Amino acid sequence: MSGTADAGKQPGHSSRFGRRGFLTSAAVGGATIVGASALGALDADAAFAAPSRSLDPAVTQTTFVEGRIGAIRGSMLHVAGSLGETHRIQVTNATSLWKVRTTTLDAVEVGDGLYARGVEMPDGSIAADAVWVNIVNLYTTIQGIQKDRLHLAHHNRELVAHTVPETAASYAGSALTPDLSRLRIGQPAQVLGAWRPADDSIDVVRVTVGH
Amino acid sequence: MFTTSAMSAVSASSPLGLLASVLPVPTAGLLAATGAGKLFGRRLRARAARTALPRLTGGNQRATLVLRVTGGAELLLAVALLAAPGRVLPGVGTALLGLGFLVYLGLARRVAPESSCGCTANDTAPITWHSFARAAAVVLGGAAAVAGGRPWWEAAGQDPVPAAAVAVAWAALLAHLSAGPGPGWRIPLRRLRLRLFGNPLGGREQPVPVAASVELLERSLAWETAAPLIRSGLVEHWDEDGWRILHYSGARHDRACACDRRVSVLFAMDAEAHLDHTLGQVIRVSVVDEETGEVLTPEAVPEPRRRLPLAG
Repeated sequence: MSGTADAGKQPGHSSRFGRRGFLTSAAVGGATIVGASALGALDADAAFAAPSRSLDPAVTQTTFVEGRIGAIRGSMLHVAGSLGETHRIQVTNATSLWKVRTTTLDAVEVGDGLYARGVEMPDGSIAADAVWVNIVNLYTTIQGIQKDRLHLAHHNRELVAHTVPETAASYAGSALTPDLSRLRIGQPAQVLGAWRPADDSIDVVRVTVGH
Repeated sequence: MFTTSAMSAVSASSPLGLLASVLPVPTAGLLAATGAGKLFGRRLRARAARTALPRLTGGNQRATLVLRVTGGAELLLAVALLAAPGRVLPGVGTALLGLGFLVYLGLARRVAPESSCGCTANDTAPITWHSFARAAAVVLGGAAAVAGGRPWWEAAGQDPVPAAAVAVAWAALLAHLSAGPGPGWRIPLRRLRLRLFGNPLGGREQPVPVAASVELLERSLAWETAAPLIRSGLVEHWDEDGWRILHYSGARHDRACACDRRVSVLFAMDAEAHLDHTLGQVIRVSVVDEETGEVLTPEAVPEPRRRLPLAG
């Protein structure tokens, strides 16, 4: 571990890329694990799963929050919940932020909706572990395919779903692929994406068809 | 009976004269279709029950009768519009029928806003502005027949192209209004465009999306081993030298201070690997203390159990 001892002085003080270099060397030099088995997820889908109690007694119990952002003060998000309650959500360096893609607090705007999971602090605020901004999960039917967007029917309403560089599709249970050319009009599609409050359209991140 | 030669207010060869000659034809088509649907359609009683007619007439039996009589009238008017374009009566009848539809729709909207229109074979769609627009189009078709001019076959013989264009355009409008709300004929058009010009979303095969890497990771033994430490979603990711690095943050209980210490959990995997192309499924896990930068992997990540322990 002599190599990592030198690198260990760097994090928090050097540039982002210096830090990435350090983390890369730590990651590539890490324990190699082979094999595959099914287990629950912590990616964007997890925003829709009920918060589960960790089996690890060392992990503090987590809190789940949902609402619209009313104000952003520094790294504190002031959120109005759907049931009239208010929350203060503290975003830290360790918080994962998702808005179409993994992102930073700069991309978050007042008026955005969010789901957040974190730990309640003694002052009543919530230190967020993970925040998903504007995330939506819809069961739709594809009604139109164009160069930069899909037209989807959702509850008798037409919804415009913009494709983004991250847009990926899964066909009949296969791995996610950036190839969207196998989508067909008339197919039922489950769509994971980010709602755009400005024009009520969505940015589509994942399309699942033939499931 | 009056003939249109006495009543005609428009010159036969003017554009308005052409409209007056041609519009009754698609109108007759619409009336024939909706009339036949009402007169010979199956399950007319069930259809009648879904409309506002039972509440307006005081019973499902009467509502069915009203639907049937209306269907008969529509069929008769359709035949008359086509066969006797010179007569005023079919035109007046059609316009009155259209006005009757408008009054009925207005009443139905007030009495039972959720009820179906009952106007066409599309018997479940609720009353929308489409229904009103179509009834108004029937009035207009009747008015055109009253204004009259040349019989439609003469207009079609003398100005075949404009006559056909007007007839097709009016028929398309009536068909669109009859299709009710929703995409209607747009979907077949979009399908046709895809067939002719191909799928515009082609040519996006590279690279492997991060979501596909995450999907593979979350089904791996590496994830199962490190999951108790992980608290966040994906914090950041980057590619380097063919590796894809996925960075999560987590917490590790430190017995020395009896507290949780923040750690980074890092996974390194082949940037090209995904569920259908696992490339040996080798995933490397590292745990780094956030504050000290110390690599904690050996003590934080237990060696995965490769084999089930055997009894005895």
